[in-house]
Amino acid sequence: MKLAALLVSGALAVTSGAALAHHSFAMFDQDNPIELEGTVHEFKFTSPHSFILLRVKDQDGSVTVWNLEAGSPTALSREGWTAKTLKAGDEVRLTVEPLRSGAPGGAWNVNKIKYKDGGPIAVTH
Amino acid sequence: MRNIIGIIALAGALAITIGDAQAFDDSKYPNLKGQWRRADLGGGQRGGLRFDSSKPPGKGQQAPLIPEYQAIFEANLADQAAGGQGTDPTFTCLSPGMPRIMIGYAPMEIVVTPETTYILMEHIHDNRRIHTDGRDWPEEPEPMFAGYSIGKWVDEDGDGRYDVLVVETRNLKNPRSYDASGIPFHEDGKTVVKERIYLDKADPNLLHDEITTFDNALTRPWMVMKNYRRVATDKPIWWREDVCAEGNNHVRIGGENYYLSAEGLLMPAKKNQAPPDLRYFKQSAR
Repeated sequence: MKLAALLVSGALAVTSGAALAHHSFAMFDQDNPIELEGTVHEFKFTSPHSFILLRVKDQDGSVTVWNLEAGSPTALSREGWTAKTLKAGDEVRLTVEPLRSGAPGGAWNVNKIKYKDGGPIAVTH
Repeated sequence: MRNIIGIIALAGALAITIGDAQAFDDSKYPNLKGQWRRADLGGGQRGGLRFDSSKPPGKGQQAPLIPEYQAIFEANLADQAAGGQGTDPTFTCLSPGMPRIMIGYAPMEIVVTPETTYILMEHIHDNRRIHTDGRDWPEEPEPMFAGYSIGKWVDEDGDGRYDVLVVETRNLKNPRSYDASGIPFHEDGKTVVKERIYLDKADPNLLHDEITTFDNALTRPWMVMKNYRRVATDKPIWWREDVCAEGNNHVRIGGENYYLSAEGLLMPAKKNQAPPDLRYFKQSAR
């Protein structure tokens, strides 16, 4: 499985908001985060954790849909997120702690996601 | 005559109603109303929310485990580092159980009645009932993740108001761990948890839960202080619904944990993880 990352970040790992979870997030590689850029296929504002299903174009032009897990709606709502914060078609760029298996999944954090043009995600406070 | 009887009966009924209303004098209890959130925000620290908020996660918790269970804990850490869930069982939406419920993953509400103090957890509805009606322990109970809790309100400072809820919890079901790092309990299921729950004397919006755990995997009782802050708001509080099965993407098959893809298909969680055993499926070349 080719990693569909556009950039591989060598930066120091930061704690994902998803790490404030009721279960272990050690399955995500916090030491080797990657940058992903893609189009939101679906934003699931669900219990126990929220998900972005992100369509990412691989280097060979094919598309992989990544399953990206974040904090609970309770945690995200404290940062001003709602079920409508992201919608299908939004183009975003985010830092992801990928699954250790290399499969297209990972954890993300509200502090590490922006729109593709660099603009902040619009939230409600 | 019938009118007189009716009036007497009505007066009697009213007296009973008023009598019942006067039985619960909430001024005798501390004000625990509102929404409480853990004081430990957990941010900026790898390992997330931990049992002892005053210490680093994982081995940093310095859990006083006997050698056998320290070995189990360390094997669990190795499994987690490889992408597994180790001895942390909650990824399949199992209740964290006691005492882990009191980490306070989401806000909580405390409702005090004379017979029962309810701790209502927004997190996957891990609610607790603390019975204060003087009952004895149940005979041969089925263990529960939250256990069975019996408590007693105590007026420690003698001012005529209760200030501490002293609680004991028994009959806890396994599997449980203290937090997401997988610190294990003894498999014998004989954990006992004792708590002292009280408002801070200097700050009535700060709540303390002094939790002491007795377990045969420990070398000694383990005491940890959990703290919560009351949310300051004059607006109505709306509580979230938290149904874990709604969006859980973690799957356990044959003792192994897997992860669901965006399409809802199984993916490996560990590097080079084998697929699950499909012996019950008719398999044909695709």
